[in-house]
Amino acid sequence: MKIWQFSEQAYHPAFQAPGSMRVTLPQHLCDPVEAGQLLNRYLDEYLLADELGLNIMVNEHHAAATCMSTSCMTTLAILARQTRKARLLALGVPLANRSNPLRVAEEIAMVDCLSGGRLEVGLVKGAAYELFMSNRQPTGFMDRFWEAHDLILAALTNQGDNFSWEGEHFHYRTVSLWPRPIQQPHPPIWGTASSASSAREYGRRDYHCATFLSGAVARSVFAGYREAYAEAHGRQPSQDKLAYLALVACADDTATAFRRAERMKSYFTTAARLDPQFRNPWGFNAVEANVRMLQAGPAAMRPRMRNGEPLPVDGSIEQYMDAGLFFVGTPDEVYSQLARFHGETGGFGNLLMMGQAGELDHAETADNLTLVAREVAPRLAELPEHNLEVRYEAVG
Amino acid sequence: MGTAGLDELDFGKLSVVDLLGTEVEMFTAGQGAPLLFLHGLDGLEGSAAALRELAGSFTVFAPSHPGFGASARPARLNRVDDLGYFYLDLMDLLSLDRPLVVGTSFGGWVAAETLTKEPARASGIVLASPLGLPTADRREQYVADIFMLSRQALGARMQRGAPLPGSDMAALTKMPEDRIRRLMRNDEAASLYGWTPYMSNPKLPDRLHRIAAPALVLWGEEDAIVSSAYREAWRAALPQAEVESIAGAGHRLHADQPAAFASRLAAFVGC
Repeated sequence: MKIWQFSEQAYHPAFQAPGSMRVTLPQHLCDPVEAGQLLNRYLDEYLLADELGLNIMVNEHHAAATCMSTSCMTTLAILARQTRKARLLALGVPLANRSNPLRVAEEIAMVDCLSGGRLEVGLVKGAAYELFMSNRQPTGFMDRFWEAHDLILAALTNQGDNFSWEGEHFHYRTVSLWPRPIQQPHPPIWGTASSASSAREYGRRDYHCATFLSGAVARSVFAGYREAYAEAHGRQPSQDKLAYLALVACADDTATAFRRAERMKSYFTTAARLDPQFRNPWGFNAVEANVRMLQAGPAAMRPRMRNGEPLPVDGSIEQYMDAGLFFVGTPDEVYSQLARFHGETGGFGNLLMMGQAGELDHAETADNLTLVAREVAPRLAELPEHNLEVRYEAVG
Repeated sequence: MGTAGLDELDFGKLSVVDLLGTEVEMFTAGQGAPLLFLHGLDGLEGSAAALRELAGSFTVFAPSHPGFGASARPARLNRVDDLGYFYLDLMDLLSLDRPLVVGTSFGGWVAAETLTKEPARASGIVLASPLGLPTADRREQYVADIFMLSRQALGARMQRGAPLPGSDMAALTKMPEDRIRRLMRNDEAASLYGWTPYMSNPKLPDRLHRIAAPALVLWGEEDAIVSSAYREAWRAALPQAEVESIAGAGHRLHADQPAAFASRLAAFVGC
């Protein structure tokens, strides 16, 4: 299993402000000098991850104290030059929120060149509430996503003449990508899924598939991927195609690890702070998906604990661990928790590890990353490939 | 999409008409001069009380806009400008010769777009709390942004009286599935037509001079969605219109004061 360090790069001093942490949070609550110091600190931690042999994942959000990275590719342009070995994953670029997909392709190609071909690209829909910032039309979101995807891939892979593009949503007189990416035909493409049905599309396309903080649901996501992959390609996918995102708090002793976990937990509690009208803008989800969601009730989307109960947002560290969202303890304990989860989900080749989250400070983050890289990663790399017969498991 | 189960519309006939391959949900009721009723964000179901009153004086034709209620929507029909042509076609199909065209809120915008294209198609036009003119100028908003309000807050602000049942999340989840589906379709369609530019067509002000029919513009005295500056913009854009405020009414004045609404319309056409 490969490990990818990931931090949302929060502006945690604002966590004390009342109300929503996204969309409506006033920007005067941001001290830009402190923001700059924090951003540099998070970059330092990414550089440490590179030195430790870990890979790197960045994301982006908008109008949020929970994440100051407002462009994956801006952050990765810095890391492309300052790191040496790490694979650099953008997970992801919120495609359906981007008005100019050709610009997305240009940034991908430029960062791939800068990094010597170490870029991996997540093309994601984007968070529903960020339509309020991009102001892109909520309806027809997925149609725009796939047209943007097709155009980006066409631009990245083109080795012939320049071409023009007159699509339903995007129009270009001439597409000419300078520079073009080092990795051919294109950098590895990633997608995110929270159900077997959404994973299937990535399986068919031979893309990487990540599932975020989904606990037991990861098993059915991976099963859906494997099933569609085998159907389309006539063989099982390697575990390298599958990824799981979770928080990891590791320390020399269990008590310290739990103290670290408590400082990271504000990731969960602040991420949830969003006024209800922004969660699901009108027209964003398909009508039938909205009908099902309303009938299922709000708890249906929550990860489940082993007893089947929904995980409370303000749950204990133990409850977050029980649901498979948090791995906490000494290197031995973290390894055995991850090995167990790996087995239960049918196996995945990438741990997208939030080794920094919430208010965890630099010294503790550095120690966390160092312990994981030196004492957990070598053992995780030895985990066997599972070859489960999962054909009839994929549901949803 | 089924059209069954709208008990509040039991005083007329709910049917489906085929307009050039698009299935349009159509409610008809009453007797008298023809009236084309173009509903607002609240859909046909939210217009029931007003339709019942209007049916006392008019033959009411009330379609669900494409994408709303149980009406289908052609894939490329995505602007209110398109709806204008759609309703000219629908009037042809129904052989509606110069009906009174009435629109509430979003439907007022639809009515105005329709008649700027073929001004002679109406005997008169009634706009109740119309949207459609530019709703903001840079940082100044003239119309509350419904997409930035919670379902509950919006539900409470839309009228002076009781909110529609779907405004409460708990009540919404317990509604019959086809009612939930209608409401989700109404929301989706509102977003499709009204997300940006917000509930308006920047070209409409320059086209409104084409509307030649007698016009009546009604506002709820307690409208909490539309500002007074916006009402003035409508007065300036449609100078020949009679303008009147209805007491005891909010933005959904047709729901707050259905009888006053209907009798004012009857007086307007002189019947």
